[in-house]
Amino acid sequence: MFKNYIKIAFRNLWRRRGLSAINITGLAVGLSATFLIVLYISFELSYDSFHSKKADIYRLIADVEVPSDVLEIDRPALAVPTHLKDDFEEIEDAVRIMGLSLAVRNGDLKFKEEDAVAVDASFFDMFDYNLLQGDKATVLQEPYSVVLTPETSKRYFGSENSIGKTLKIQNEDISDLTFTVTGIMEQAPQNSRFRPELLISFSTYFNGVMPNINDMWGTYDPEAFVLLNPNVDVLELQSKFPAFLEKYTGDQMRQEKSLVTLKMEPFTDVYLHSNRNQGVSGDINSIYIFSIIALFILLIACINFVNLTTARSVERAKEVGVRKVIGAEKNQLSKQFIGESIIIVLLAFLLSVFISGLALPAFKELIGKEISSGILSNPGYIFILFITSLLIGVLAGIYPAFVLSSFKPVNVLKGNFSTGSSGILLRKGLVIAQFTISITLIIGTIVIYNQMGHMSNQELGFNKDHVVVLETGYIPERKALQQKLNEIPEIKSTSYTSSVPGVKNNIAYSLIEDSTNEQLAVHIDAFFVDYDYMDQYGLKLLAGRSFSKAFASDSTAAMIINERAVKLLGYVSPEDALGASFSQWGKQGEIIGVVKDFHFKSLEEKINPMSMTVSEAGGDFLSVTIQSNDMAKTIAAIETEWNKVMPTNPFNYYFLDEAFDRQYRTQQRFGKIFVNFAVLAIFISCLGLLGLAAYSMLQRRREIGIRKVLGASVTTVVNLLSLEFMKLVGIAFLIAVPIAAFTMKSWLDNFAYRIDLQWWIFALAGLIASIIALGTVGFHAIKASLTNPVKNLRTE
Amino acid sequence: MITIQNLKKSFRTEEVETLALNNVNLKVEDGEFVAIMGPSGCGKSTLLNIIGMLDNPTEGSYNFAGNEVGGLKESQRTQLRKGNLGFVFQSFNLIDELTVYENVELPLIYLKMGKAERKEKVMKVLERMKIAHREKHFPQQLSGGQQQRVAISRAVVTNPKLILADEPTGNLDSKNGIEVMNLLTELNQEGTTIVMVTHSDRDSHYAHRVVNLFDGQIVTESQNRAIGAMI
Repeated sequence: MFKNYIKIAFRNLWRRRGLSAINITGLAVGLSATFLIVLYISFELSYDSFHSKKADIYRLIADVEVPSDVLEIDRPALAVPTHLKDDFEEIEDAVRIMGLSLAVRNGDLKFKEEDAVAVDASFFDMFDYNLLQGDKATVLQEPYSVVLTPETSKRYFGSENSIGKTLKIQNEDISDLTFTVTGIMEQAPQNSRFRPELLISFSTYFNGVMPNINDMWGTYDPEAFVLLNPNVDVLELQSKFPAFLEKYTGDQMRQEKSLVTLKMEPFTDVYLHSNRNQGVSGDINSIYIFSIIALFILLIACINFVNLTTARSVERAKEVGVRKVIGAEKNQLSKQFIGESIIIVLLAFLLSVFISGLALPAFKELIGKEISSGILSNPGYIFILFITSLLIGVLAGIYPAFVLSSFKPVNVLKGNFSTGSSGILLRKGLVIAQFTISITLIIGTIVIYNQMGHMSNQELGFNKDHVVVLETGYIPERKALQQKLNEIPEIKSTSYTSSVPGVKNNIAYSLIEDSTNEQLAVHIDAFFVDYDYMDQYGLKLLAGRSFSKAFASDSTAAMIINERAVKLLGYVSPEDALGASFSQWGKQGEIIGVVKDFHFKSLEEKINPMSMTVSEAGGDFLSVTIQSNDMAKTIAAIETEWNKVMPTNPFNYYFLDEAFDRQYRTQQRFGKIFVNFAVLAIFISCLGLLGLAAYSMLQRRREIGIRKVLGASVTTVVNLLSLEFMKLVGIAFLIAVPIAAFTMKSWLDNFAYRIDLQWWIFALAGLIASIIALGTVGFHAIKASLTNPVKNLRTE
Repeated sequence: MITIQNLKKSFRTEEVETLALNNVNLKVEDGEFVAIMGPSGCGKSTLLNIIGMLDNPTEGSYNFAGNEVGGLKESQRTQLRKGNLGFVFQSFNLIDELTVYENVELPLIYLKMGKAERKEKVMKVLERMKIAHREKHFPQQLSGGQQQRVAISRAVVTNPKLILADEPTGNLDSKNGIEVMNLLTELNQEGTTIVMVTHSDRDSHYAHRVVNLFDGQIVTESQNRAIGAMI
């Protein structure tokens, strides 16, 4: 009996091979898309899950409250971890992980190491990173110890064993000091938040270059983690922190009118659930969105499947009737049709494994992550996909099986058989559901693209073109470099700053005189600049004056603020703020100017209050404005000067506009993934519609024949047939608009500067959906209406 | 074999109730060959469907070989029908996706018969119907007469007690029609009871007895004496 079912299933598939192909392809594409998204989601969910102590690890975070605002920081003050560990027996261990950008030298070989960290000695105890050489208890104990990954070791030392060898390392705190390689660490897995290429011992700081680091209660750096003893009540422990802070820094807080709250955040929540990450971070919302998209795509594919199968039931009616008459029982027939459905699904499954394998490299490229080394490296997921396919086969087969097996043989064999209005209603409902999803996704696509365009076209308020940024580090020779560069004719201007828009920003605790003549404590973005900065960046002065060497006090006692800061301080006009006194990071003086707001951060964020002060020592970002037709030549000239002035420092540069746009990489990537899967979803919907239209025409050929005999023209018939589907699209549109409006509005809320949801976005989506539907259905409608009516009528 | 008493069948649509069969009384003995005749819409197919247990009567009693059928559930009717009844239709109703052999084999599969036994039975009946050389063909590749012989093969392969034929020659030319009627007569002479609905006077002469239906009621019944002469 089973053989008989399989036989008839394959013969049926073959007889309608075009539509079978649509059915199988649609389902396979849907399964592949879902599969890839599931791979991505499970990769995102797996971040840092390989650490065996993860359940007892917490990240230390701090809220710093001043009268005007609260600063939520993803890290504690420098001194906190050491003292916490000493003061609380509940805390077994504390590890700081400080991200560094280092210049590394092995003899004449120079390297810029962006992925370097300084970590406390017990780093390898708390976290499960794999140490290939060296003893994990002591490897980072001593100051000036360095651990490399095999790749880094190879880069620095070639194939030799690097243990015991030395490297010269420098950055703003470490001045070309000698470090000894003490260990080799296997590169951290892809799903690790920290993936350092080079690790130095944190004791290098407190036992070497910055001995007072364990007394620094006001500098919020670096990220730090504590390992709690088992069964410690986290909230209870946290409730002891205020007294701890009072003990060490109570006076300082009172003096600064600030209140620090130290908290702990579960390590496992850091990557996806924390909203205060400065480092590597995922986004739980995009996980939700992609889960929904995966579900949608699967749903659309299943709807196709059910629709096409029930539509085909008309063709199978006779077979059902005959089988019943000669003795088939209802459940035997149900089994047969569910079995057929499973066969189709399994074919789709095989195809989808193939498609997924082909698409995986492109998908990895798209999301920019090495989520899987190959489709077959995830046999577990393939098995899940297989089970899912089977389930879809059964579920999608149940309805058609139920419909088919309850046909009354008397009716079907006599030929006065009709599908019944419920089946048609269901199919219509499913088509509406599909198009609702499709239109929602089209609207989403349009909105995302517009927002992306909006962000890249927005006037930022400063010149970002033709600016090259060099990161020199705080080395003494950097001022000499600036002078040399100014001699190059193609270089229009240069300036040193502590921050560059979109790349880095510092927040400074400051006291500034407000409109009521009180000293207001604020957290304000602080730029340390030199005299040419405002000119070079084209910042617009609204009141007062720019920094000038003509005023000797400008280097020590002058501040320029932006409009937001003016507002924060309660002044009515920019002029009112002039002359207000300030104190910030040891400097005291008065406000000499106000600049127009400019976007020094991504457009996702509102412009914050900011201040600029001149600092001779203040910056290691050298902005260079170039006016040249041969950019490469000028940059080569810069490199030559660089190597002359600071030979131990590896040359590096980037373009300001590119660096600024890089902030949107995550959003752009999100947009791209969204659009790709939206197109897929729409494609699968179209496949389904194509198949359904073909069947609808097949069923209505008699009606079409009669209409034509009675004198209907091809046009009227095409209109009639298309209109029916267009109505469904119309209903779907009405359902989709509010759903999409709501969803996209909440997505747009992520951006401080965003587009409005204008009516044309929805109209355009409706138009696109209509064109797609019309194109799909119209083809069959025209084909059906061109057929000779005699032929249609004869077949009945 | 069949005893039908005061049988009524009505069809209800939203507004109209149509009485398809009204107080039908009919008895068919074992081994009989009965033809049911009447104009279009008189209820003969409805009667045949009820006899074939494809449909339930609205009222009255239908006794098949000692079992009361009226009021049985569909699954129970399927059980009773299996192996006991064979159907022959005007439009043959072969399954297009199955070969001749597979079509004939199907009822045996539903009877859960073993493969070897099925093969033996199918080949025997195909040879008897002179269609064995076509066993691997699909229905569309056969002529109408051949298709109907396959359909009859399928109807008799289970050795049913009763064959129900609904205008079995309606789609055939006269030569093929006569051949089919001869086959049915042969089966009847071997002991199978046959109830046949027909429009054709010629076909009705093959039956022992002709029941005339008009507006859902039996109006006349006549015995055919000349049966021998026709063969």
